[in-house]
Amino acid sequence: MTSGVLLFAYNNEQIDYVAQACFLANRIKQYMNLPTTLVTDDKQRVLKYYNGAEIFDNIVTSSLEQKNKKTYHDGSLSKKVLDFKNFNRSDAYDLTPYDKTMVMDTDYIISNDMLSKVFESNNELMMYSNSMDVSGWRDESEFQYISETSIKFYWATCVYFTKSEVNKTFFDLVKHIKENYQHYRNLYQITSTVFRNDYAFSIAAHIMGYVKELPGKMIYSTHKDVLHKINNINIKLLIEKQDRVGEYTLLNSKGVNLHVMNKFSLNREVTNA
Amino acid sequence: MDEKLQKALEFGNYSTTLENQKRMLHEKFVTDTIYFHAGGQFTINKELLNYVHMLIETGQETTVLVDDNNIPVEVEVNDFYANIADKFFTASNEYHTAYKKLQKSRSVDGLVE
Repeated sequence: MTSGVLLFAYNNEQIDYVAQACFLANRIKQYMNLPTTLVTDDKQRVLKYYNGAEIFDNIVTSSLEQKNKKTYHDGSLSKKVLDFKNFNRSDAYDLTPYDKTMVMDTDYIISNDMLSKVFESNNELMMYSNSMDVSGWRDESEFQYISETSIKFYWATCVYFTKSEVNKTFFDLVKHIKENYQHYRNLYQITSTVFRNDYAFSIAAHIMGYVKELPGKMIYSTHKDVLHKINNINIKLLIEKQDRVGEYTLLNSKGVNLHVMNKFSLNREVTNA
Repeated sequence: MDEKLQKALEFGNYSTTLENQKRMLHEKFVTDTIYFHAGGQFTINKELLNYVHMLIETGQETTVLVDDNNIPVEVEVNDFYANIADKFFTASNEYHTAYKKLQKSRSVDGLVE
């Protein structure tokens, strides 16, 4: 049985997702001792400019025809609307070369070996629904339910699955939800107009009902926080202060896996690493 | 800036940072007390430690435990107890050491070292 991690990276005008994927793949090797496969739209570029052949176990080319627009924040005072190419996460089942796969967002920073233990579990499909905002004061309800009147929120940031008939059905269902998103948006009272994999996976999880919880919690910092420094297991962040726009508190996250939503600050740190 | 106000703001920063660091330390402790065995996932707590210890005291050699995802897992009691006790004590000691270091730190810089 082969095991590995699958990353999707499609650069836009300003965010270098491939650089983030390279950074994460090195940490996955260091802390989880697992190989990584990259799914991207320009394999030659990854090989030429990112030393991709040494970093990744495989590089899979998959073009995207659709793209979203999304507001990217860089702390609480700066934001930009950029392309967001997230439409083929549902192809993970078909694209993975592994029997047991963990799909991760490139902005998830691995700092321990906990998730590697999941590959020994008896579960077919695992995701996070439990989460924790590092700020301690922000409203977390948008990550508990996909809307105020709807179902439980699951994070597509980190998804573990094995090759099985039932998981093939699950990913086919995610594709179906994506293709008929307007209908499912209405049905599940989702207010956001932007397609989110979190929502599609949450709906599929709700319909099929066999998802198990990944160990620990999805610990996250939002776009309003700023990643300051990564030094091995120490990740220093500037956390948005309550009721004080543009002011921050320093936080050191040590030895925990962390979802850093501020892609600009992550990119600055990754390209300096 | 007025010195009294400056001191109050500095303390505000310090106490917010301290609370944040405490929460992160606790999350690390929780993560460190997750034990994986025979495909099962167990969060180690005093209840689990006591239950498994009671099984040893009553002469049980194997038993079935229900894991965090409600999946029954057969375990060999003595080995299982030795492993969870070791993992729990290691995590508790690390938590204690890090917490004491936090308590001694009197500046924001010290808290996030």
